[in-house]
Amino acid sequence: MSGKTGPDPAASNVSGAELSPIPLLDAIQDEGGTWEELAPRYGVANPDPPWKVSLYAIFECLSAGGALPSLERRHIEDRLGETLYGRTPDPERQLLALADTLLRRGILSEEDLARRMDAVRARHEGS
Amino acid sequence: MAQTHEHGDHSHPAAPMVEEISDFEILEIAVRELAIEKGLFTAEDHRKFTEWAEQIGPAGGSRLVAKAWVDPAFKARVLTDAVAACREIGIDWAEPTGQGTPSDYMELRVLEDTPTLHHVIVCTLCSCYPRPLLGHSPYWYRSPNYRRRLVRWPRHVLAEFGLILPPEVEIRVEDSNQKCRFMVLPLRPAGSENWTEEQLAEIVTRDCMIGVALPRPDRKADDVRPVHQASRPVGGEHHEPGSGP
Repeated sequence: MSGKTGPDPAASNVSGAELSPIPLLDAIQDEGGTWEELAPRYGVANPDPPWKVSLYAIFECLSAGGALPSLERRHIEDRLGETLYGRTPDPERQLLALADTLLRRGILSEEDLARRMDAVRARHEGS
Repeated sequence: MAQTHEHGDHSHPAAPMVEEISDFEILEIAVRELAIEKGLFTAEDHRKFTEWAEQIGPAGGSRLVAKAWVDPAFKARVLTDAVAACREIGIDWAEPTGQGTPSDYMELRVLEDTPTLHHVIVCTLCSCYPRPLLGHSPYWYRSPNYRRRLVRWPRHVLAEFGLILPPEVEIRVEDSNQKCRFMVLPLRPAGSENWTEEQLAEIVTRDCMIGVALPRPDRKADDVRPVHQASRPVGGEHHEPGSGP
């Protein structure tokens, strides 16, 4: 936590108050399995996880539609990357920052997101 | 994971892929599905951006260099405010449809080569790269070999790319970072006088804008690739490539 209270244009888009961790995202950060950890385990040389291009397309879509302009998102990533998600590398950190932003803005709810993650996991493990 | 992969008359081990779905991958899918259901964008929008993101190339950078070569006023704008100058050739770093990409910060500096100064770019920390102009970085740009060695032995590393610079040419290595991207504005080669901008753009290949090659009037990005003729053709006769055995 930076404890910063001065005018910070980047911060105004996140929240004026000190950010508290979001349990769902915190758990993923601790146990999620980043590409840096997974790739060597399977002998995979590709430097990026296969879902990275899809994440970046989400960024593009949100910016194009006006929901979250790219530059604003980058400021948020900077701030959250130095605080809540500092122990996770990109692109996982960018993904956490995006989910964090959508949750804090009330666009998604933590319950909905957790439920959907369970459904996605069940769908993939069943295949 | 020693699976094999069939190709008609032969098989080989499948390229390894991660055989599990991580929580991060699940989170990405869940966020995307919910965003689509909330109407923030459509699945078709997402598909289009994904398709586009995987095919961007260095054509924008080539156009920028060619225009700077023929238009001194434009070159001055490129050197003072590159992001603004990019908009003049149809590349907007902020707008995705204008080829801006969200992974790039809005800070770009174009480094002009002179007869006695050569620039080359690297990202020693990771793989920062001016993607709106140059597309995706080549694999070697992301390799530890290039990233570690270029800063220490630039002349040797450039020679490994076939670029041997005379000792009187100073080499300056610029390290990209999270906040600023760089691109090289190479020297216009002799032999390209009176060429149109379109002709000039054709010889400004990706590697020239990274700084590991120099533009040459006889080499284009889309040149026909060299074909090795078979040393012992079937039946002892010469076959044109693609004409079959």
